[in-house]
Amino acid sequence: MPSCSTEPGKASIDLKKININADQEALLAEIAETIIPENDKLGAKELNLHLFTLKMVDDCHNEEDQKAFMEGLNSMDKLAKSKYGNAFAKCDPGQRIDLLNAVSKEEGAAKEAAAFLKITKRRVIQGFMNSKYVMTDLKKYELVPGRYNGYFPAKQA
Amino acid sequence: MPEITGDSIKDRTFDAIVIGSGISGGWSAKELTEKGLKTLLLERGRDVKHIKDYPTTNKLPYEFEHRGEVPLDIQKEAPIVSRCYAFREDTLHFFLKDKEHPYVEQKPFDWIRGYQVGGKSLIWARQTQRWSDFDFEGPARDGFAVDWPIRYKDIAPWYSHVEKFAGISGNRDGLAELPDGEFLPSYPLNAVENYFKEQVNKNYKNRHIISARGAHISKPQQVHFDQGRGQCQNRTLCQRGCPFGGYFSSNASTIPWAEKTGNLTLRPFSVVHSIIYDEQKGKATGVKVIDANTKQEIEFYAKIIFVNAAALNTNLILLNSISKRFPNGLGNDSDLLGKYVAFHNYSSTVSGEYDGMKEFTTDGRNPVGGGYVPRFRNVFKQETDFLRGYAAGFSARRSQDTDSSGFGDALKENLLNPKLGPWRVGSHMMGETIPKATNFVMLDKNLKDAWGIPQLSISVDYDDNDQKMIKDYEDEFSEMFTKSGFTNVKVSRTQKAPGLDIHEMGGVRMGNDPRTSLLNKWNQLHHCKNVFVTDGACMTSTSTQNPSLTYMAFSARSADYAFAELKKGNL
Repeated sequence: MPSCSTEPGKASIDLKKININADQEALLAEIAETIIPENDKLGAKELNLHLFTLKMVDDCHNEEDQKAFMEGLNSMDKLAKSKYGNAFAKCDPGQRIDLLNAVSKEEGAAKEAAAFLKITKRRVIQGFMNSKYVMTDLKKYELVPGRYNGYFPAKQA
Repeated sequence: MPEITGDSIKDRTFDAIVIGSGISGGWSAKELTEKGLKTLLLERGRDVKHIKDYPTTNKLPYEFEHRGEVPLDIQKEAPIVSRCYAFREDTLHFFLKDKEHPYVEQKPFDWIRGYQVGGKSLIWARQTQRWSDFDFEGPARDGFAVDWPIRYKDIAPWYSHVEKFAGISGNRDGLAELPDGEFLPSYPLNAVENYFKEQVNKNYKNRHIISARGAHISKPQQVHFDQGRGQCQNRTLCQRGCPFGGYFSSNASTIPWAEKTGNLTLRPFSVVHSIIYDEQKGKATGVKVIDANTKQEIEFYAKIIFVNAAALNTNLILLNSISKRFPNGLGNDSDLLGKYVAFHNYSSTVSGEYDGMKEFTTDGRNPVGGGYVPRFRNVFKQETDFLRGYAAGFSARRSQDTDSSGFGDALKENLLNPKLGPWRVGSHMMGETIPKATNFVMLDKNLKDAWGIPQLSISVDYDDNDQKMIKDYEDEFSEMFTKSGFTNVKVSRTQKAPGLDIHEMGGVRMGNDPRTSLLNKWNQLHHCKNVFVTDGACMTSTSTQNPSLTYMAFSARSADYAFAELKKGNL
């Protein structure tokens, strides 16, 4: 059943330039989660990396990028259906990763989402590596190092 | 007639007025107030109190909405400052919005300004090197500009004076071309920076790689504790303002020091329109200020005036200070005011990789950035087909190889477990440019800013000498890198417009002869003796050193002289 047949709700964050509804937001969350899934460590959805991506696309990308982002996002369900007969969110994890690989390799019709995926992957990774979770629980960001050693043993790094 | 505020003339009269609170104005104010002079420090922007007004200083990366990036809408409002490396989400409040402060570019010029108390001393790159006589004697030896009216011995004690107070880290390298100073311990070179130093020593004569010298308190002395400053904590977040006062800024150091004397009146939001010249007395009597917020005109009076508005704005103020005696700008009998502007040539970088020294990496952060390569071209004699030469920054760091291919668990695992890659090395040139009459600033005849002050019109460009120098830097550093076993050596021309070096200088140059210069050896206008210019505008030539330390020394030296002259009744 086409997901856009119902009245779409609004996105959960305020955006100034791009127009995103709740369904598109949910789809982006699934794509982000496919890029960085939850396993023994938190994943993209839990860390709201899809919302970070939207914020960055809205504020820090030009109109051309924003247009490519929207077109690519909107093509993802169509691509998933033509390949697996299901909307992206209904595909199994293996299918999702295969689809993203096809998009990033610009295979056939998947090419139209390549620019979208490039932006999204970049921003999801950036949001993940710069999240409070990663910077405090997984890797330690030091605001005040108080030292510099130019001969630090690589083995201890 | 200017509208005068309700304050009485007495309330608006001081011993000294300092125009501008940046790196040189802060020093002028400190020195003058310490000598007991009631000093008015005028700043066109808002006040920035040390620590209290550093809103981002303790923020963590994830507390910035855009993780450090400047949103496009803000960049559109500030297209010029957006090209500055230091303009980021955590520092943008210390830069102005280009659109609010227009100027005319006869040729492309990226004018980077910091309109707030402390000026650009909050956001500078903190590199500090002394000039030597190879620099002061440059114009006379090589036949450009005019001879400097001073030599190293004249300024050396003042370098010492400002270094001790500001806190400068460095090694005593014993190089004639880069005199040693009053140093706090250096930040040592890392494994590959040292390796490069050894290789260059082996392969070349008279080329040196030294620890960069910088205005960081590596080991605080009593004079720093007295300022309320402590040890640099290697944050390298300096441009946000430092809560430890670890690097030198007017805000952390000279201004609070001046305030403690009880002799300082700091007036933010004061846009200086012009210096008032009294035809009868034959000297300046004060300054005309436009209140930045109310646009009201107010006059302030003093016996001596220090112009420290930053190089090009100092030119603007003097050009706009018109009287019957000086129809072309204050002190401008020679018609050279605004001319012979120069800058530093940062037009190229050379990078590479090194596959050795893999047993080492770095830990923590180096606040001065790494190494410095003093000028080695044409130092002791002319040896190329271009004049002068370039210094360079050099640094090495271990790269991180992160495999960010693919999607899912494998990608996540790779992101969280980067491998150490090869060392990456990089250098950037800092070339001397030759001041010329054709590189100038002037007042636009029609356009004014929001405060009714004529807009500055800038015509500054590179020349053939600069192009030859760029090529030489690229060839020499490529060779030095290759001889050191670095691979993947790449040259990258940056095509920066002048201005983006943020080392614009000149226009009010010093010299012995009033017919060919504006200022004498004491930074005093030849033709208006109670006006002193000790910021970048005074520079007769640029040499290759980062200039701020020299402005500090000029300010202190000049304030000392002005005070003595005042006491003698000569001003």
